[in-house]
Amino acid sequence: MTAPDVVAPEEGALSSALTIADAQTALRDGTLTATELLREAYATADAVDETLGIYLSRFDETAQAAAAAIDAAFAAGEDPGPLAGIPLGIKDIISTTEGETTAQSLVLDRAWGAGVGDAVVVSRLRAAGAVITGKLTTMEYATGVPDPAKPFPIPRNPWNTDYWTGGSSSGTGNGVAAGAILGGLGTDTGGSIRIPSAFCGITGLKATFGRVPKSGCVPLGYSLDNIGPMARSARDCAIMLNALAGYDASDACAVEVPTEDYLAGLDGDLSGLTIGLDRLLGKAPTRDPAVDAALDAVVDVLTGLGATVVDVELPLWQELNAATRITSRSEAFAYHAPDLRSRWGDYFSATRTGVGAAIAFTGADYVQAQRVRRVGQKAVASLFETVDLIITPTSSVAGWKIDELDSMADRFGAMHTGYWNALGNPALALPMGFSGQPRAGGLPLSLQIIGRPFTESLVLRAGDAYQRVTDWHVLTPAAADRPAAAVAS
Amino acid sequence: MHSIEEEFGNQLDLALESNGLTPLPEDRAALLKAFSTGREQAALVFSVAEARYEEPDLIFSASLS
Repeated sequence: MTAPDVVAPEEGALSSALTIADAQTALRDGTLTATELLREAYATADAVDETLGIYLSRFDETAQAAAAAIDAAFAAGEDPGPLAGIPLGIKDIISTTEGETTAQSLVLDRAWGAGVGDAVVVSRLRAAGAVITGKLTTMEYATGVPDPAKPFPIPRNPWNTDYWTGGSSSGTGNGVAAGAILGGLGTDTGGSIRIPSAFCGITGLKATFGRVPKSGCVPLGYSLDNIGPMARSARDCAIMLNALAGYDASDACAVEVPTEDYLAGLDGDLSGLTIGLDRLLGKAPTRDPAVDAALDAVVDVLTGLGATVVDVELPLWQELNAATRITSRSEAFAYHAPDLRSRWGDYFSATRTGVGAAIAFTGADYVQAQRVRRVGQKAVASLFETVDLIITPTSSVAGWKIDELDSMADRFGAMHTGYWNALGNPALALPMGFSGQPRAGGLPLSLQIIGRPFTESLVLRAGDAYQRVTDWHVLTPAAADRPAAAVAS
Repeated sequence: MHSIEEEFGNQLDLALESNGLTPLPEDRAALLKAFSTGREQAALVFSVAEARYEEPDLIFSASLS
């Protein structure tokens, strides 16, 4: 596959083209300081945030202090950690010591986050040296679509600002794509890491359910929720996962399975691997024809890297997607019922009608959905006896216009992510091309790579190998451009 | 003879009342659509006959490790 000519970053847009791995090197060889990197990231945010809707709140003061401390540690010859000096943002349903956690909602009691402090994942990022820049936009309580009637930013896609970022980890998606942060945390109950990663042209990982502790995060569907990394590349996701993964007793769903060094296997070699491809034809109400051309090119790349690609058909597709929806809605309703009764109109329109519609389900429906998930796990485990990885498009469309989101409920079938929440397998979304011309209104397309439970290393190895020979993940949107003068200040 | 829409509408009204929910009038169309889609999804999971004999883990992640 040949990417279009890689779009070099405009002068002064350094951070928009910088990966975490690049920044690690520059910080360690002394060509960049954490303070400079943070200043550039914030300058980019200053230039684009009003248009894109990335931040709900910023932690300028504490972030600058953290960056200065990192610089002092480097100057003293210390190694402050693998994420030292890397500016990362946090989706605002995950609690942090600084600022409020709002879930982008009028309803959430602000005392909740104050009582939690740093979520386990945030503590782990800080321990690895990350500089936490602020809280990023989401959909209300990580579900639904934006509501212009509510007093919150509407996240826009930096590749075409008429379009939505996807959700619900919207600010992490457009923040990374625009270079306002080098990476960040998203959450994924039915695709909320992978969909904004897909629409914004970045890379995002939903690890195996239970791999990353989710305590300190406002729940949506407790048996489906995942916290995970979003960044420019699979390698960057591996760097972040090294800090995030591992058991913690505070999450009842966390699993005591040993972690690995997720960077160790990134060797660019896919020799001997068999990869199953399900194009998911006929599984979506709409399909962009560019998706199929992009998948053809993906097959060529993976074959060139030594893999054998075979066609597969994922079992129980509609049934497992239904199980995800029943589970997600029912678990969310159990959490929200008291507030829906007393504060219906304070919720976003799509939240209250979506979560409220859980009243369609009976207790038996919920139990049956859990049984179907178990049947699905066994069926997919059988499929994984014949292949090492599975690939699908992350979505059959490249995005939706913001002014068309009212009718989006009909379009969820175009997003191919919720199936894997029902099952728990790790799934990586990464850019594989464009529908239309990049930087001229075109939108990114995304590939999804799925592995057996707890094989994040292999999933990331495949994503990294693909990105070693393609350029989609390093393209930068025009919305990230800013005048050189803005950097010098 | 009620239409399917009327039937779902009646079911929705009963479910709203029994759950103590009083939605805004402008939300009714979206709720009705989501309600009818929900019943279709419930029918889909019950179409998986072999699921009848499964006993899922109380903590979902336990089945992964």
